[in-house]
Formats: sequence, C-alpha cells, structure tokens
Amino acid sequence: MESPDFQVFRGAGRPRFANRAELECAKLLDYYGVPWDYEPRTFVLETDGEGRVTEAFTPDFFLPEQNLYLEITVMKQTLVTRKNRKLRKLRQLYPDVNAKLFYRRDVERLAERLRLDLAS
Amino acid sequence: MSAGERYLTAGQLLARARELGAAITRDYEQRDLVLVVPLRGSFIFGVDLSRSLTLPHAIDFVELEPYHRGERGVRLVKDLDGDIRGRDVLIAVDVVDTGLTMHYLCKTLRLREPASLSIATLLDRPYRRLVDDLPVGYIGFTVPDELFVGYGFALEDRYRNLPDLHIRAA
Repeated sequence: MESPDFQVFRGAGRPRFANRAELECAKLLDYYGVPWDYEPRTFVLETDGEGRVTEAFTPDFFLPEQNLYLEITVMKQTLVTRKNRKLRKLRQLYPDVNAKLFYRRDVERLAERLRLDLAS
Repeated sequence: MSAGERYLTAGQLLARARELGAAITRDYEQRDLVLVVPLRGSFIFGVDLSRSLTLPHAIDFVELEPYHRGERGVRLVKDLDGDIRGRDVLIAVDVVDTGLTMHYLCKTLRLREPASLSIATLLDRPYRRLVDDLPVGYIGFTVPDELFVGYGFALEDRYRNLPDLHIRAA
C-alpha cells in the first residue's frame, strides 16, 4: 500500500495502515491540515487476576488539536458489535477520552462525496 | 440519472433562510457584517440568506480547491476580494459534515483578525463531525446521511439550479 509523505502527521516513523480506508482517512486529514497521529496509544480494557492484559483497544487515529480518538472500521455493519462494545467499555473506563467510531457506511459515504478510491 | 425524491421544497428552504436571517439581523445589529459564501454549492443559500437580512452588510466569496482535484493540501483558489480585519464575518455555507473544510476556512480567515467569526449552515450532519471546534452559530436543518441535489447542491456540476432540495436517487 502506498505511503505518501504526510504534512501534518504527528507521530514517529512512517505509519503502516491496516487497510485502504485508513490510508484515505489519513490523506483526507492531511489534505485539510488537521494534525493526526496513527495508533499512538493502547487502552487496557481488562486484566486477569495477575494483572495481565486480556483485552485492549488501540484506536486508529488521534487528532491532538481535537483531543479525539478515531476508529475506522471497514467491517459490515452487522459485524461491528464487538467494536461497539469495546468503545462503550473505553468510555466507561476512560470517561475523559473522546473517541468516535467511523463505520464502513460512513467511510463509503465520505468516499462518494469526495470521490476517493476505496476499492482496494 | 434523475434528481430523486423531494426532501425540502423551495418554500421551506426560503422560509428557513428568512428565519435565520431574522436571527442574524438581531444578533448583528450595529455591527460591520461581512457574509462570506464559499463557491459553488453555497451560492443559492448565500443569496437567500443575504436577501433575508435587513441590515447593511457586505457579501464576498471564496472557493476552495476540492479534495479530488488537490495535490498537496487544500488552498483557496478564489480568495476574498475585501479586507475582513476588525469586521464581523459570517460564513454562509451549504452543509457542515466532517467539518474539515470549515475547519480550514475558519483557520485561514482567523489569521486576518476579524472582530468575530461564525458559521451559518443550511444543512448540518453533526453526527459525522471529525472536527468539533467550529463556531456554528446558525443551523437551517439537521439532516440524515443522504446525498442531496438541488438548491445549490450538484451532482457532477448539474442540478444546482433545481429550486427544491432532493435526495439523490441511487
């Protein structure tokens, strides 16, 4: 997958996106000059009796100026229940953290409006 | 391709523009108002809003390079003709969605030190916002996640002239 030279990427190194939708979102944020970072933080959601992490959540993007975490999901709407549950848990455990889930339908709509290529 | 089902009539759109105009007239009395209209989708709403204001005001236009045509980053392909320093700027825009375009425009206009900066949007999709720090002061209609044509909204640069607002046919 292509990895352009981003202008307002605030992380270290070169981000490695999991799918095309993430890459297009990064390009979109970059185009409009909204500083962003890619997967900068993992939130622990559950540990076992010995303190080992059994469930965690790493949102895809962080927008420092907005103080907002953004998770992009390209799964079908019917398959996002697990992600929704994680997001609810994140909000319960970290009430000061702002996070949004961007669904496949949202991404497709955005692509349609902006004529992005999310085919691959 | 047809325009699709009618969502709002020309009468409803004009009536709402007049309501917003009345509120803006009250809020901006005795102030030096500049209505800034981004081309091209907002021009019909901008005109209806301007004609609904019963106070003297300037009107100016900007145009941003669309994302699909841009390369390095967004920029103004048409800048304001007038100076806005110390003046009260109200952006009259067709729709606020992710907020990315308005975020850029507000950031750009703030550098010119207006006395105030606010947004009047005909349509709003607050649930799709990526940037939430926008000074949206006036909202015409909060709408579902549909694509529209008519009343300035286009599909491949057509249908802007339709008097009503239609949900774009699939």
